[in-house]
Amino acid sequence: MRNIITLTACTMASITAVAQTREIKFSEFDLPNGLHVILHEDHTTPIVAVGVMYHVGSKDEARDRRGFAHFFEHLLFEGSDNIDRGEFAKYVEKAGGVLNANTTGDRTYYYEVLPSNQLDLGLWLESERMMHAKVEKKGIETQREVVKEERRQRYENQPYGSILPEVLKRAYTEHPYQWPTIGYMEDLNAASEKDFKKFYKTFYVPNNAVLVLAGDFNSEKATADLTKYFGPIPKGGTIPRNKVVEPPMKGEIRDTVYDKIQLPAVVQAYRIPALGTPDFYAVDMLNRLMSNGNSSRLVKNVKDAEQKAVFVGSFSLPFEDPGLAIAFAVANMGVPPDSLEASMDRQFELVRNEPIAPAELEKLKVQIETEHAMENGRMSGIANNLANAYTFLGGADKVNTEVQQYLAVTAEDLQRVARQYFVPANRVVLYYLPMNQKK
Amino acid sequence: MNRQRKTMKSTLLPTLTLAATLLIPASMIAQVDRTKAPLPGPAPEVHLGEHKSLTLENGMRVIIVENHKIPIVSAQVKFDIPPILQGDVTGYQDLVGELLTSGTPRHTKEQIDELVDGLGARLNGSNDGLYASSLKKNFPQVMDLLYEVVASANFPSEEFEKAKTRAMSQVQARADDPDQIADVVGRALTYGKNYPYGEVTTEASLGKASRDDVYQYYRYFFQPKQGYLVLVGDITAAEGEAMARKYFGTWKGAEVPVTKDEQGHDVVKDLGPIIPAGKDPRRPADVRMAFVDRPGSAQSVIKVVFPVQLKPNDPMALQAQVLNTILGGGVFNARLMQNLREDKGYTYGAYSSLDADRWCGSFSAGCSVRNDVTDSAVTQIMKEITDIRNAPVKTDELALAKSYMAGSFARALEDPRTVARFALNTYLNDLPEDHYETYLKRLDAVTITDVKQAAERLLHPDSCTVLVVGDKEQVAKSLEPLSGSGRVLDYDINGDIVRLDPTEGATPAPEGMKAQDVLDAYIKAIGGKDAVEKVRDVKKVYTTNVQGMPATLTEYNKAPNKYAMEMRMGEMVLQRINYDGQKGKLTSIMGEKELEDQELEEVLGNAYAFPELHYPEMEQVARLLGVITIDGQKTYRVSVETLSGGKIDEYYDVETGLKLRRRENQMQEGGGWIQVITDYSAYSPEGGVLFPHTLTQRGGMDMVLTATEISVNKGIPDSEFSTE
Repeated sequence: MRNIITLTACTMASITAVAQTREIKFSEFDLPNGLHVILHEDHTTPIVAVGVMYHVGSKDEARDRRGFAHFFEHLLFEGSDNIDRGEFAKYVEKAGGVLNANTTGDRTYYYEVLPSNQLDLGLWLESERMMHAKVEKKGIETQREVVKEERRQRYENQPYGSILPEVLKRAYTEHPYQWPTIGYMEDLNAASEKDFKKFYKTFYVPNNAVLVLAGDFNSEKATADLTKYFGPIPKGGTIPRNKVVEPPMKGEIRDTVYDKIQLPAVVQAYRIPALGTPDFYAVDMLNRLMSNGNSSRLVKNVKDAEQKAVFVGSFSLPFEDPGLAIAFAVANMGVPPDSLEASMDRQFELVRNEPIAPAELEKLKVQIETEHAMENGRMSGIANNLANAYTFLGGADKVNTEVQQYLAVTAEDLQRVARQYFVPANRVVLYYLPMNQKK
Repeated sequence: MNRQRKTMKSTLLPTLTLAATLLIPASMIAQVDRTKAPLPGPAPEVHLGEHKSLTLENGMRVIIVENHKIPIVSAQVKFDIPPILQGDVTGYQDLVGELLTSGTPRHTKEQIDELVDGLGARLNGSNDGLYASSLKKNFPQVMDLLYEVVASANFPSEEFEKAKTRAMSQVQARADDPDQIADVVGRALTYGKNYPYGEVTTEASLGKASRDDVYQYYRYFFQPKQGYLVLVGDITAAEGEAMARKYFGTWKGAEVPVTKDEQGHDVVKDLGPIIPAGKDPRRPADVRMAFVDRPGSAQSVIKVVFPVQLKPNDPMALQAQVLNTILGGGVFNARLMQNLREDKGYTYGAYSSLDADRWCGSFSAGCSVRNDVTDSAVTQIMKEITDIRNAPVKTDELALAKSYMAGSFARALEDPRTVARFALNTYLNDLPEDHYETYLKRLDAVTITDVKQAAERLLHPDSCTVLVVGDKEQVAKSLEPLSGSGRVLDYDINGDIVRLDPTEGATPAPEGMKAQDVLDAYIKAIGGKDAVEKVRDVKKVYTTNVQGMPATLTEYNKAPNKYAMEMRMGEMVLQRINYDGQKGKLTSIMGEKELEDQELEEVLGNAYAFPELHYPEMEQVARLLGVITIDGQKTYRVSVETLSGGKIDEYYDVETGLKLRRRENQMQEGGGWIQVITDYSAYSPEGGVLFPHTLTQRGGMDMVLTATEISVNKGIPDSEFSTE
């Protein structure tokens, strides 16, 4: 109840505040059924983004149903008690909008971007999806094939496409992060209607979701409307959480994968702390130090000065449970993988051995500041960021304050996380080699 | 309904309290009718947004869009550069962008990289300009650097060599990437490899590219008179104008001396002639089934492609976009997506594009599918292209496409760069001033008839290339019935044909035998080189039937390469072609016109009395493809590739050496190609040389030509060939 009052006050106050600070202003509250709601009003363009994030991903799957959460995401476009098969997308596109969804290890996100006069349509569609989604046999069998084609297209028929599955299955032994979100064919084939019913009842409930509206609407009116649509959805039970703790690595794991490729590649995956922890920000900063921009360590040295690679990059997988930082390089022609790996290793060794210079830290901070300013240019992006911040970072206000956690990282922090996490004993190394080198 | 009421009951009380707190009128909490989609409110107005434009004294145009929503400013510098042929150094243009930011007299690459990253900026080059952006507070320094790079990039040799090596590695990597192969070969087959858009970068072509190619390209094309500066974001119009004047106001561009070649092209030192796009690419004669083998593929990548003559300022351009949206342009409800994904489950996504372009537009439709449904998927794609051409689209399909496009237009305006892009497009594509202001109104006015007309003009399912990249052994055979010729043609990853005719039953030619040996044998068979070379002129008169009426065809050849042809019916001249060795003229009942492009090339093929002696001069390449049997005779099959990528097949009798058949693709009236087969028989001597006296033609117009007169060296006056 208190939330609602704050909301009204917030909406009024925000009008003057936007122009000065350019912070993302928002209000938030819970419906009695546990659905969390975040509203961001912005009248610049007559559009509105409607997003619903469910806190369920592939890590919540049964071990013999790998890929199920994503498969299920496909099925939730099939219709509801009031929406026939194939009509869901038609409503949106007929209204001049776009829609899509995506699934990760940790969450599933659905969204529409609509002309602002069609907000109610978005609320209706998303509430139908949450309240009584319906899946027919034709839909299940068709989407099963579609998802298998997605797997073939993105993972099997692409050079280096199997990197993530190959890394994950070696980097984790206990935790469900050991399988990729897309899953495996045998499990996709095994998934049945019974599984869908159970998954829906367990995870697709208001108390496991956040609804975000961003764009051209009136918060009071929108609150009334969304309450009409989402209010009647019953609260679900307690959400079962997979509490598997992955034990530390017992030393470096090295392996070779033969693929349909011409140029060898080196993949190094380091185990890192979970998203939102202080060390995660330091690790993420370290990844930027390594490969953000042409003057970054790996790009400048491995690719440019030493000419060992045509591509080199390093990035963190922002997982809710402890994740991975992956450094990946594709060799320049004639460069053997061990020589490429030695060059990469040298750069990580340097960060471990010497604190970075103040100017270089300053550079990282300017880059962070600029990125932060740019990422809030579109309503669809703001909606997604708010949902993500609420679900994983401890609060929607992190869209404004998370940047401070990056800016607080010191040179000592960088060196410390380099020594703690970016060490051989804490990693998986894969060589990707052309098929014809297989003995 | 039962379920709904039950649900309502459990949450009714909290909902009421909630609404009361907000002081919402009681009417608004009435139970919502979930069975129907809610009706939309009044449509919001879409505002295009303002831009300011000005032209600097040096001719550079400046476009400024003010938008203070986020503290970011971007600058785009763009030069209006037409597509030009890269020829044997194809790929050098891809290096321009990277090398632009690789050094100036003031800064090394390393220093530029440090500067850009230190400002948290982006600075990305391309072969026609650069894009930069940063926080407002850092933008003055970014502009400083942007100007420095545009005006004085010096392309250090060392950086060129590094970039070239990486580019060559990437060409190697392409060999295993099915999407890249489909893209590169797809373009080659859409436009032809002699058109700038169809040229293919190879390790060999990159190997020949030099630093000077790239540097001189930059100097020649990066000129203020064809330049645009686009500033967008957290900047006032006044600030933007001041910056534009400060940096680019007095910029002159490099002085690049040029000479002219025989064709009138500018020739730039160390780069060579600047050759623009030539004649418009043509579609294949029928459905050309092309295959690139990638053994072990998990999927086939399918692309149906053909070139389209559609410019952005074509009155039909908008109708074309509506048409494509219905067919497969990104909408989930598009026909390709609904059919191939939602109904059949063949693919993760099927799409089409119908792109207007100032030089040459293109159509493409395709998807990735598992191997065993490849032929079914091709069949369904072709069916959708055919259906949308043959039958009117449905009212609700049209409404959905129009709503979707209107919505996309509004959504795009969320990004302030869109307004700038509109302004830039208006200049570049010569669009009406109010093109974008009237967009929604014009879109709303598009009718079912408009879409049908666009489909009839622009879609050609009978005359296209179907490209499949996949596992040949598993897939190719099933595609044969879908090919116009019944054959699947093999292409390599560079878009070159591997074997012309794998299934026709050709056996290899004898070891070591070349096309030239076959041609030599033919010349020998008709009288020998001496006799043939003594022929100064020939006149051939044939009688035939045209639509049941007797007609006469007369051909004249005079050394070195003059040619004339006249078709008469009684006293009436149906058609006459004169070619004086340089220019060609067509006279018909429709009037006179000068021959150009493809038509001229076809005439050129007839200009020599004995073209078999002159393939090299005509820049035609003859290849011996093997021995095959036609009409019971064993023949050598020789393929002759013409300058524009056309192919002619000739069949020479293994025993006698005489030419028995010629097979070529001829251009059809109104576009498209048709395969024409001519059989030669009744060889007998005239003036010491054997000429065929019966020509049987099939395809196009079927007819039998019977020679009534063939006279050699009777002295044909030049006036017979005049194009005046």
